[in-house]
Amino acid sequence: MNLKPTIGIETHIELNTNTKMFCRCKVVDTEEPNISLCPTCIGLPGALPVPNEKAIRYITLLALATGCAITKKGMFHRKNYFYPDLPKNYQISQFDLPVGENGKLEIVIDNEKDYVEIERVHMEEDTGKSSHEGTGRIDSATSTSLDFNRSGVPLVEIVTKPVIQSSKVAVAYIEELRQLAIDLDISEGKLEKGNLRFDANISVAPSESDELGTKVEIKNMNSLRSLERAIDYEIKRQSSAIENGESIIQETRHWDESKETTTSMRSKEGSADYRYFSDPDLPNMVLSDEFVNQVKDSLPPLPHENRNKLVETGLDLSDANVLSKSEKWILELYFEVFDNTKDSKATFNWITGELQGQMRKLEIKSLPEWFSPAFLSDVIKLIDENKISFTSGKVILEELIQKDTTPDDVAKKLDLYQENDESAISEIVNEVIKDNQDIVERIKNGEDKLVGFMVGQIIKSSGGSINPGIAKEILSKELNL
Amino acid sequence: MSEKFDITNIAKLASISLSDDEKQKLSSDLSVILDHVQALSNLELDTNIEDVYIHPLEKELVLDQDVEKPSLTHDEALSNAPKASDGKFIVPPSLE
Amino acid sequence: MDLLNLSIRELNNLFVNKKAKPSELYSEVFDRSASSEAALHAHLSLFEETNLKKAKNSDQRFSNSENVGLLDGIPLAIKDNINIKNEKTTCSSKMLSNFISPYNATVISKLDTEQAIYTGKTNLDEFAMGSSTENSAFGLTRNPWNTDYVPGGSSGGSAASVASRSSIAALGSDTGGSIRQPASFCGLVGFKPTYGTVSRYGLIAFASSLDQIGPISKSVDDARIIYSAISGHDSLDSTSINDEQIDMPFDKNATIGIVKELMEDGISEESKKEVDKVINILKQKGFNIKEVSLPLIKLSISIYYLIAPAECSANLARFDGVRYGLRVDGKTSYEMMENTRAEGFGDEVKRRILLGTYALSAGYYDEYYGKALRARKKMVDEFSSIFKECDYLISPTTPTEAFKAGEKTSNPLEMYMSDLCTIPANLAGLPAISIPTGLSSSNLPLGVQIMSKPLTDNSLLNFSEMLEKELDFNRTPEGWSK
Repeated sequence: MNLKPTIGIETHIELNTNTKMFCRCKVVDTEEPNISLCPTCIGLPGALPVPNEKAIRYITLLALATGCAITKKGMFHRKNYFYPDLPKNYQISQFDLPVGENGKLEIVIDNEKDYVEIERVHMEEDTGKSSHEGTGRIDSATSTSLDFNRSGVPLVEIVTKPVIQSSKVAVAYIEELRQLAIDLDISEGKLEKGNLRFDANISVAPSESDELGTKVEIKNMNSLRSLERAIDYEIKRQSSAIENGESIIQETRHWDESKETTTSMRSKEGSADYRYFSDPDLPNMVLSDEFVNQVKDSLPPLPHENRNKLVETGLDLSDANVLSKSEKWILELYFEVFDNTKDSKATFNWITGELQGQMRKLEIKSLPEWFSPAFLSDVIKLIDENKISFTSGKVILEELIQKDTTPDDVAKKLDLYQENDESAISEIVNEVIKDNQDIVERIKNGEDKLVGFMVGQIIKSSGGSINPGIAKEILSKELNL
Repeated sequence: MSEKFDITNIAKLASISLSDDEKQKLSSDLSVILDHVQALSNLELDTNIEDVYIHPLEKELVLDQDVEKPSLTHDEALSNAPKASDGKFIVPPSLE
Repeated sequence: MDLLNLSIRELNNLFVNKKAKPSELYSEVFDRSASSEAALHAHLSLFEETNLKKAKNSDQRFSNSENVGLLDGIPLAIKDNINIKNEKTTCSSKMLSNFISPYNATVISKLDTEQAIYTGKTNLDEFAMGSSTENSAFGLTRNPWNTDYVPGGSSGGSAASVASRSSIAALGSDTGGSIRQPASFCGLVGFKPTYGTVSRYGLIAFASSLDQIGPISKSVDDARIIYSAISGHDSLDSTSINDEQIDMPFDKNATIGIVKELMEDGISEESKKEVDKVINILKQKGFNIKEVSLPLIKLSISIYYLIAPAECSANLARFDGVRYGLRVDGKTSYEMMENTRAEGFGDEVKRRILLGTYALSAGYYDEYYGKALRARKKMVDEFSSIFKECDYLISPTTPTEAFKAGEKTSNPLEMYMSDLCTIPANLAGLPAISIPTGLSSSNLPLGVQIMSKPLTDNSLLNFSEMLEKELDFNRTPEGWSK
């Protein structure tokens, strides 16, 4: 039986506002528990919610950036369920009138553009944090402790349509969404800190079927790697179940990172019935044209726009995608260096390879103040003009990162400029030919690979100052190859 | 009315444990009330949900600036906690 | 001097002219509340210690002519669903019997700046759900006019406190009549302001879209003074409004509507007679009177008993034993929460939570809650069009005089029906007032209700004051002075 998987992803992104969604308690990043609380975010009796303008602005930004239609007259709903870390035992969310609907996000898969359709973009408030004392399962857990600092932190939830076909696309989608949030400056976007969390709805159905199979929700995936593995595992699990004639149960399953499997979460008696209804504490939210236009005007260049600009410089889409997911200063550096070199591939390689590699080695996160983009374009040009070797270029770059100097000073100080004068090179070439008559004989008899050896000998006798390309060219001429 | 009123499920959703006697008593009370509110079902209504306002005066929401305001102290926040330890609220285990 | 029957303005005059002191008034109030407590049980707590000091400070301000306003040194009783910082707020529930609020309700902050004194917290139906103050986990309150009878509810403690002169005036809250009905049962003025003109921040919510805090007092002027102190936009309440009041005529240029649906079956002859009495006065004064019809009023109890329980089912979800209040342990958090809520809530609260949960549950939302929302909208529209032809609407406040304690406790629906006249104003967010008009054949007070369009609170009070003078009710329950 030919089976096809279908995946939908729900992502929560924590917004980097100064204060919480419905109260003006500071959003804090600390291990110290319960220090940023007020009657509203711990659900004291009588406390009321007052929404944060910046959070709504951020959600609108994301909705516009994903091409969603903005709901002009929206509202807030209460999603009712009992859980100890949810202070009111309902979460203020949005139900049938979200901030944005029907958008799409461009992603890059194998050097090709693809799109993931977005169903909705809406507001949510975060819960507190539970820590479980004991060893895991309920029988052995002794108690749960609660910290409500996170309670009420604004979240934006992005729900895709069930259109994703593989774990690879899912990962590319999350990477793209993360970058978008960072470029919009609405979130730190750090997965390891839980700034961005995702659940996947996965179903498998016969390829020829127009209907989707029974969907299973997968939770607890904390990294892109676990997202990929959990999806692959779940597709396999469901496919073999279907092939064995078993039916899939609609349920929520938990990704177990250590076992690399998904396991069924014991469902509470009676299925989830969230009893959504409009929150009577919050009147209808009308987003005026003026507000929406103002938000629209504040949109920065988006990742897909950056990619288009990068492709215009001559990069292929795949490289452009890598750069579009880099930190902002790297992207800016690329464009500045490219403006001088007009060599997209070399600029890309030097930035993503050598420069970032050396920075990693030196454990530095940003370039020193003195490092001008012109340094990198100078190095690339010197190599291109055969004035220095590629290896010397690396040496110069390393010096430039560590010392306040210039490429020219380094090249002079370390004597890295290459001999490019043909007559001088011919002299050395002829010298080496004279000293290696046996090798020359073998080359003439067809042992081509020995040319490399000869070039090496030439560079060695020059003390490394000869450009290997020119050396080879003159050698070939002298030997009539 | 009463046959579709699943008191056990409703009590579960409302997180209230009920004895069998209570279930029976409450079911019959609620059936009477639900029969009464049934009067609404004959009402002709064409109002679209988008025309429904949350605020009885049909006011719109005003958003607040993202500026921190003083909150409760840590001790005030925990002052009514039935059980607390190390600055956290403590409850029986909540793992599924 | 007997200060207890005086109005706020009269008391303030005495203080200003140094003919009496706030501390003297406070002593009288305290003695009265303490001596009436056994028979009435109007209060859940009385704040003697701190108040004497506050009253003396007030004395000082008056003697230095530094008094801040009409409420300076005036002892007010506060319904026990309004948070006063560092005091218990129990909502008459076992659930909150040990809850001490770490913050002030906005109305309390506002009264604090006016230097008002709080005599104590008053009894109510648990979480303000009821019409008789019999649903209190801490015992029922009795009607000062006749202790066999209920004082009404849910603000029955506040009404009994003011009627027995145990406080000068009181704050109540009104979700479906909880200020107006007990005021009427106790021969007092009860005013429910336009929704959103008084902040709900710190009022323990029953049904957020209907709840409104307001005064219960001996006179319309007292109600006006308290309303002007507690009203105003509050940035802590998103439903609070910032609109200007609308002025309406309150002389004979005003048009008066008699609500047909509230003068029909289910309304006692005695209640109707009080309306007739008021209409005759208005006719004599040359007002234009007409009968108006609002057909949806007939459905208001059905609409209300879907919307209020639905909202309350979520509003009361926070009482779970995790962060405050009662906790009854269990093996898991979920068991603990279920046990706590089973033990902490009384029958009426459970009934409404379950009703609301059902009305919102999958498959029933459209049939119940969704329909009620849309019917409510239609009712708002009906009122809007009536207010194009009338300035004030008159009806009985209650279908009958006060009933006997225990008379309706076994039949929830019958109890609900007693809110028929008061519920429509909550559904439409209108200002509505009950003023006392006379006594029934069994010597119990009766009143009429006047409603007007949103944001005409001041005009409504002016109109009511004019009527109050004409009616000259001026009767007090006997037997509470020493």
